[in-house]
Amino acid sequence: MSIHPGTAAKGKAPESPTPANTAKVRRRSPTRVNPALYLFPLPAVAVVAFFLVMPTLQAFQYAITDWNGFSAAFNYVGLDNFIRAFTKDSLFTNALTNNLKFVLLVVIAQTIFSLILALLLTKNSRGSILLRALFFFPTILSSVSVAFIWKFIYDPNFGLANTVLKTVGVDGGSYLGNDAQALYWVAVTQVWFHSGQMMVVYIAGLQAIPRELYEAAEMDGANKWQQFKSITWPFVAPATSIVVAYTTVQSFKAFDLILGIAGNPPKSSLDILSTRIYSTFANSEFGYAAAQSIIFMAMIALVTWLQRRLLRLTPKGE
Amino acid sequence: MSQISRRQAMAVLGALGFGATAAACAGPGGSTAPGGASGPAAPSTGAVTGKVSFAHWRGEDKAVFDELIKRFAAKHSGVEVAQDISTSNDYNAQALQKLRGGSIGDAFATFRGAQFKNFTEAGIYTELKDSQAVKNYQKGLLSAGQNGDSQLGLPYQVVFPMPMANVDLFDKAGAEIAPKNWDAFLGMCEKLASAGVIPISWPGGDVGNGGQLFNCMIANNAPVDDMCAQIEQGKLKVTDDWFIKMLNQYKDLVPYLQPNATGTAVEPAQNLFSQGKAAMLATGSYHIAAVRGLGAKFPIDLVFPNTTSDGKGKYEGAYNATFILGVNSASKNQAAAAAWIDFLSEPENAGYYANQTAQHVSVDKVEYTNPDLKRLSPWLQKKTALAARFQFNNLDVRNAVEASATAVISGTSPEQAAAAAQKIVDERL
Repeated sequence: MSIHPGTAAKGKAPESPTPANTAKVRRRSPTRVNPALYLFPLPAVAVVAFFLVMPTLQAFQYAITDWNGFSAAFNYVGLDNFIRAFTKDSLFTNALTNNLKFVLLVVIAQTIFSLILALLLTKNSRGSILLRALFFFPTILSSVSVAFIWKFIYDPNFGLANTVLKTVGVDGGSYLGNDAQALYWVAVTQVWFHSGQMMVVYIAGLQAIPRELYEAAEMDGANKWQQFKSITWPFVAPATSIVVAYTTVQSFKAFDLILGIAGNPPKSSLDILSTRIYSTFANSEFGYAAAQSIIFMAMIALVTWLQRRLLRLTPKGE
Repeated sequence: MSQISRRQAMAVLGALGFGATAAACAGPGGSTAPGGASGPAAPSTGAVTGKVSFAHWRGEDKAVFDELIKRFAAKHSGVEVAQDISTSNDYNAQALQKLRGGSIGDAFATFRGAQFKNFTEAGIYTELKDSQAVKNYQKGLLSAGQNGDSQLGLPYQVVFPMPMANVDLFDKAGAEIAPKNWDAFLGMCEKLASAGVIPISWPGGDVGNGGQLFNCMIANNAPVDDMCAQIEQGKLKVTDDWFIKMLNQYKDLVPYLQPNATGTAVEPAQNLFSQGKAAMLATGSYHIAAVRGLGAKFPIDLVFPNTTSDGKGKYEGAYNATFILGVNSASKNQAAAAAWIDFLSEPENAGYYANQTAQHVSVDKVEYTNPDLKRLSPWLQKKTALAARFQFNNLDVRNAVEASATAVISGTSPEQAAAAAQKIVDERL
């Protein structure tokens, strides 16, 4: 394979761009590459096509069938699966409601908590670095380990939470056994799990803010809150954008944490979209599960877009 | 190498994209049994050599199977058996897809009910009715592996999904271990509670194990034996009087369960029982080995919560025939897989499995030497109902129906809990 060396022809003066030789000049542009190079991304394109594009396209096709996942026979059912999800399946709408509630809780709590941590630990002192490492530690644990740790904490009989409460004379709760509260307790776990990671994103954003701005604000008599409102918050907006988007996707896909903490299948108060889709696949309703997956995908896209618009984290047109 | 033009490169990429799209749009399924499975024919015969993958979910039995594999390999030189073990929930959800290709699970086990049905429809079983193995089983226990005239699987284990009892605590409290009716059962719980122990440890936070009590509660309450199948088909409703009566009986149990029972996972429930803090563990005999492993030294028996008012119920207990052994029709080593199933089904080997795992088996002429199995063996002769919850083929329906009992224990009224469950059943009719 040969690569064209460009137009810097040795020992020759550049030709003047007359109409007659314009095409020749264009062909010999220094930016020109051998077309064979276009084949270099082929392996990567093949991998993406095979593992991402094909399954996605297949999901769209399965979504309009009643395929059970193993038999040769199936029927095309049009949009019935989508209609069923929203009108005739209270388990799906329950999972959707749970998931939106979970996302809202986690996004708000995790964003605020990680920003507070970052504000407290933004200086590069030894103590701060140690604490950053400590807060970041849960992030490197596997979600299954996290689920088991918190399952033990929440256990009403032998768990850490109730044992500690008992020592100070307080009756503990049922935690995951209380349907009205279970989702909130899992949200606490999720925030504990990922806040350290988001804190790092915020610290990077905070450390990029020029110190002169704070000095100028102080000279103008701005108090801490005014400094935060007028300098810190606008400057960490890009970091907030990343934190909110990442937390949203993460909360939608808290599949392994929920399954680890609540068992398989989780009870309906802890069922979120990803666990519902899994249950539907396990129930040999592949067509319907594919339709649920597409709704899930659309839901993540919609919520992320809405968040960015509502929080004005993305300027119009970007 | 000759040069490729940009146009040619784009054509290659385009063709690749088109191929991917076309492949993606190919119809689902494609053959009766993808991966080469061809439905119920007898396993092929031949030399018992090569590698056999044995897929199942009993991680706790791995060491016992390892020993049996050694004995099998000693009998048939040149054969290897590798266990492919998943957790029970994952196995329930994924085994069908994993086994269809035939590279995993030359021999395999399935749960009774929905999984057996799906495997049957997918054509994964071979026909075992003429096999050597089938002759070793008690005829009355083979039905869970039958489909019409075919014997597709061999239900290996017999378990009793009934509360296990700490006999010492019962004796100490002067409580009757075989209550004759519902009032007697509640009286027994009251005596245990008065003696300062938790009468029943129930893992309400674990859907799979918490649901086992349902088998006992429904056995004598339901008007027919195929009550769960009829609920799923819409012929019976969970809002019917008999079901509401059963939910009210669940409500009666609330004072006798450990605090926060609906948030208790199975391991803490086992701990309460094995540490002598609870007199009963409402899961089943399949947990005997686990509680012995946790240090339980006391004698264990089973208790049937007899839900009748006059003691004249049809059943005296509940059992399940499960761990249904089969040979994969897509397997390339069916002869060796079938030989492995034959081997497991020999009374001597089945006896070894039973005594080491503390679980009864469906194989005939097995000598039980394990003290727990010996003690529970009379239950094999009693009139027990085949566990009803496995009649459900739709897992959403099963979970919804069983969740109604959990909801009642959480404080929801039986009528409300039943109505919520019926709504989900109706949506899936």
